[in-house]
Amino acid sequence: MNGFLAIYRREVLSLWVTPLAWVLLTVFLLLQGAIFYSIITHFTSMTEVSVDTGPLQAYFGQESIFLLMTLLLVCPALTMRVFAEERRSGTIETLLTAPVTAGSVVLGKYAALLTTYALIWAPTLLYVVILRKTGVVDWGVVGSSYLGLLGIGAAYLSVGTLMSAMTKSQLVALLLTIFVEFGLFILGVGEYIFDPGVFRDICAHVSMMGQMEDFSKGILDLRRVVFDGSLTALGLFVTTRVVDSWRWG
Amino acid sequence: MIEVSDLTKDYGTVVAVQGVSFSVGKGEIVGFLGPNGAGKSTTLRVLAGFLGATSGRVRIAGHDIAEAPLAARRSLGYMPESAPLYPEMRVGEYLTFRARLKEVPRGKRISAVGGAMERAGLTHMEGTVIAHLSKGYRQRVALADALVSNPPLLILDEPTAGLDPNQIREVRALVKDLGSDRTVLLSTHILSEVEATCERALVIDRGRLVAEGTIEELRTRQKSSALSLRVRDPKSAAEVAIGGIAGVSVISAAADEAAPERRALRLSFAAALDTETVTEAVVQALTSAGIGIHALVPEKASLEQVFSELTRHEAEAAKPETP
Repeated sequence: MNGFLAIYRREVLSLWVTPLAWVLLTVFLLLQGAIFYSIITHFTSMTEVSVDTGPLQAYFGQESIFLLMTLLLVCPALTMRVFAEERRSGTIETLLTAPVTAGSVVLGKYAALLTTYALIWAPTLLYVVILRKTGVVDWGVVGSSYLGLLGIGAAYLSVGTLMSAMTKSQLVALLLTIFVEFGLFILGVGEYIFDPGVFRDICAHVSMMGQMEDFSKGILDLRRVVFDGSLTALGLFVTTRVVDSWRWG
Repeated sequence: MIEVSDLTKDYGTVVAVQGVSFSVGKGEIVGFLGPNGAGKSTTLRVLAGFLGATSGRVRIAGHDIAEAPLAARRSLGYMPESAPLYPEMRVGEYLTFRARLKEVPRGKRISAVGGAMERAGLTHMEGTVIAHLSKGYRQRVALADALVSNPPLLILDEPTAGLDPNQIREVRALVKDLGSDRTVLLSTHILSEVEATCERALVIDRGRLVAEGTIEELRTRQKSSALSLRVRDPKSAAEVAIGGIAGVSVISAAADEAAPERRALRLSFAAALDTETVTEAVVQALTSAGIGIHALVPEKASLEQVFSELTRHEAEAAKPETP
């Protein structure tokens, strides 16, 4: 536990004292701002709006493809260095000869990534505040939407952590992560392509867009939560085994 | 403090360390000596718990590193080769992080970090970002890191590599100082380092332990095969007298300029001959030729010679095994 906290604190510090987190935050907020702005302009030009839709639902739900595309950029960039850099520079040797288990190393680093991910999202709460000034905000929808984003982020970051542990090169880690996460994303698009059947059901089940559409309507589907959770747990478990396996390399 | 029995480590097809056994007692400073690529770093990495042994047992302070890895790692401070550090952190931050990681209790952390910085001569560098430090200071930060939890055992992998002569002297003095109250195992390929700091040395070559002992023992391991003499020899008859002994030859003879009858001689003799017998025969031959002996010193092999001898023999012995 001691080791976990020490690693968590160091990771958060090193993410925010280097430019990486700030660059990602800037790029991310610029993109989100553009997406949100265009959604708002779209809604202001509409004469009739149906009851179950609004700028928030559109931002988190129907138009979530934009938002997910930015995640496909931000998450791999956030995770690429987490283990690859330690192995390239050799600091992994000092880390693993300290009295810490592989589990606390992986969890400490992962928790720091998840915290940073949440911090990057935090400024978007301002959008809700802006909407609140001109209309009514359904706080349930806001809560479930952010929960959905947290679930997707947790899964993406876990995959990225694993990929970073597989290679000493940050670039390779980045590309592998994008490859896997983009693959998952594309699989979700299959929902709109395939004929009804088992395969289409699978695609619908793993679809990140489907998840955001549900969550933006305030539907907390346990299956989605279980899927995100399993993907996260699997990624972290395999990463721990990979870290342990370095001793036998 | 360290007990290693029959340690073997292979990387797939390459055997890095083979059947190494040794032990290091409490309070010793032991040098781990070998040419580059001999398996020094691999052995130390196994001892520090970074790599797992393929076979064999390692006990650190009584804890088996396979069965109780955390307890074993808790009792040692390890400084890896080339001192890897996080460049974005400040010296004080880094050492505090390491102290936290090594379970130094909260109340003692500040004094532990301060003490380690003081011993490594880093106190004035506390706020400096590691990326801006010179190689010598990085080495010191890595050393302070090894010390921060005040472990009874230090394992240092080439602590003086890449330092300038002044820094080397400082680090050696520090190691000696540290060795006064704890066990130190340090690796090096520089012999004078072992002579300067260690009480005992382990010599490894091609993954095998080829010699072990105190510096004196290692030196005498190689039998002297030379004598140096100072004689009073007005008729320059020494060469003739010595020439009569089988297997002994004069390598050099120099007359003292101030007193021409005094000469300095160096003799060498075949390795098969025994030093004692040769010395006796030489003295007998010289005295019967009427030459006075002022001094007679069997030349001790330098550690360099022992080292190259040991590692060369091993290399030759290993040859037939590899196809």
